[in-house]
Amino acid sequence: MNIYFSNIRVISPIQNIDERLNIHIQEGLIQYVGKYTPTISDKTRIISGSDLVCSPGLFDMHVHLREPGHEYKETIQTGTLAAANGGFTGVVCMPNTSPAVDSVAVIEYIKSRSKGNLVDVFPCATMTKSREGKDLAPLLSLIEAGAVMFSDDGSCLESAEMMRRAFDYTAQWDALLTQHCEEHSMTRNFAMNEGKVSTELGLKGYPTVAEDVIIARDILLAEYCGNRRYHAAHISTKGAVRLVREAKKRGQRVSCEVTPHHFVLTDESVRGYNTNAKMNPPLRTIEDVEAIIEGLADGTIDCIATDHAPHAIHEKQCEFSNAANGITGLETALGLGLTYLVHSKKLTLNQFIEKMSVNPRKILQIPQPIISVGEIPNLTIFAPDEQWTVNLELSCSMSKNSPFQGIILTGKPKFTINNNQIFSSKF
Amino acid sequence: MLSLNSMTNIFPHKHLLSSSQLSRSDILTITSRANEFISNGISAAHRYDLLRGKTVVSAFFEGSTRTKLSFELAARRLGADVLSFTASASSLSKGESLIDTLNTIDAMGVDIWLVRHSHSGAVELMSNFSHCAFLNAGDGQHQHPTQGLLDILTMLQHFGELDGKNICIVGDILHSRVARSTATLLQTLGANVGFLAPGTLLPHDYSHWNITLLKTIDAAVEWADGLNILRIQRERMEGGLLPSLEEYSQFYGVKMIHLQSKPNLLIMHPGPVNYGVEIDHDVAHATQSLIQKQVTNGVAIRMAVMALLAENFDRK
Repeated sequence: MNIYFSNIRVISPIQNIDERLNIHIQEGLIQYVGKYTPTISDKTRIISGSDLVCSPGLFDMHVHLREPGHEYKETIQTGTLAAANGGFTGVVCMPNTSPAVDSVAVIEYIKSRSKGNLVDVFPCATMTKSREGKDLAPLLSLIEAGAVMFSDDGSCLESAEMMRRAFDYTAQWDALLTQHCEEHSMTRNFAMNEGKVSTELGLKGYPTVAEDVIIARDILLAEYCGNRRYHAAHISTKGAVRLVREAKKRGQRVSCEVTPHHFVLTDESVRGYNTNAKMNPPLRTIEDVEAIIEGLADGTIDCIATDHAPHAIHEKQCEFSNAANGITGLETALGLGLTYLVHSKKLTLNQFIEKMSVNPRKILQIPQPIISVGEIPNLTIFAPDEQWTVNLELSCSMSKNSPFQGIILTGKPKFTINNNQIFSSKF
Repeated sequence: MLSLNSMTNIFPHKHLLSSSQLSRSDILTITSRANEFISNGISAAHRYDLLRGKTVVSAFFEGSTRTKLSFELAARRLGADVLSFTASASSLSKGESLIDTLNTIDAMGVDIWLVRHSHSGAVELMSNFSHCAFLNAGDGQHQHPTQGLLDILTMLQHFGELDGKNICIVGDILHSRVARSTATLLQTLGANVGFLAPGTLLPHDYSHWNITLLKTIDAAVEWADGLNILRIQRERMEGGLLPSLEEYSQFYGVKMIHLQSKPNLLIMHPGPVNYGVEIDHDVAHATQSLIQKQVTNGVAIRMAVMALLAENFDRK
């Protein structure tokens, strides 16, 4: 790789950089960053950066790569390609695979399958064996093997006592526990958000309070167990935003994430029984979306994560209640965020980059990419003002279950650079 | 063989999936067509050729006896060939997908699908993958438009018009496609709709209807010109949504004293009836009860809807 970006807007919030600079990358290192024109060879690929932004590589802390076990939906290979295509240089893969990520062997398998990739893959391991909520997984060995956080994602750890044990058992290691917040007794066989639309469509509802009660419980447990690190995954309700805001105010080490679909869409999208609008947590109401955007703006919501959840056609092309939960998200997140948060003036571009790159790594305590001479480049190059139409034919994911096919976005990924590799976006 | 002048009213729908797609004039087109059939006769002696040469597939993916019979009789009265299909006997039990089953039967050459399915939205899903006309015969907890229409026809025959009439739907509103269908049609025709149900059997948010919520059967009887009483399923009690059928009957069941206190109160029930739970035997068989009339009207309404859908078929 030998590439030169001239006059590109470099934004690195942790370095307090936001200015137009020239960047030269060669031999796996950033050779030059600055205002002058460095000497470059005639073999250097030169790209005008006047319409581009260079940020530290985007990071998605909630991705389903489906491997091992569900390779007909996605593999580590195709999932990380989709990540690169969306501008991400690092992802956390969730543990609801088959077998679940509850042993060192599975962690090692994921590591070996992701070796040599442009995109770094960090495994999230389960809190309990087989995600059954009964016995703790070997959490300490999993930390040593490289698990960056723990979750029984896909379902909630129902027992308060087990959650307490997970906090206590990992206290000296200061592990990060993250929860899929869902009080299952209130959500059995749910198909969508409980509200006006579920009444009209005759679909079983998932009330917002079923999410809120678990967040409230976990915040209390995290506090009781000695201010443990706790991260609420894919929050979707007004109540969740309020609970996290209050916990942060009290000084708790609580963080949370939101998916693009939860700040862009509402349960109105389900009308017509659109199974690509079916996910867990479900799309909520406009009131919840407004609260989430407010939470993003005031810092209550730390980061944006996609919950990229690929599913095969036959799992979506069926009766709504039988359809699988989840949508793909890696390739549309940057465009959706730029369109619905930055261009709509809810967040500054700097704030947005913090939520897409800086904060997830901060929460996970993973080193931050630095944009300066001598550093290994871990960068995302995107065109913040370019309009484009989402065409899933160009997607790198094995699955195309997205409600965003055909929509027009402003802001597009261009190049993803990491591990001495460069990926040019297919879009 | 009789033939009706069939081009007088235009019915602007390819399918009938939900009562919410029907305007006031659509509803009146259907009910007046049904009344025409009734006055011309709908017994075996009266056959019409409006669906002759058409194949109607009656696909009941969820068990039902009376609705299936009513639909199939209506199709035969109109001269259609009827294919009958039930889920237990079908390939669905072998794991074939709904869309594959649809494509297979479509390939045999059919024109109208009558579909009953346990999943909300299943009929709309099928309509998206087929060129045929679809008539929703009940999908999950979503809609059962012909049941709503036959309720409306019954009330129109009785009251003449529904503007300003107070009609209370009693029972398991939360799980009822009948309630959803009838409530919407009633409001489209200008009636006031009341709900009477224990809190666990009411939707969390029903603000898209303008509903008068009633507290007990006594209050509902006082308020209403007519009661549309829903069947209470035993599994609601087993699922913990009701403490007992006795308590339900005490607070929500219709008894003779209610008819005595309001002799002109209209009683309707889609059947089958649980005597002593939602309605007493004497009430169901009182002169104010139109339950048998509803069944007869059901055949006429289904004939009317199929005839109107078939006319659009030919127009295409």
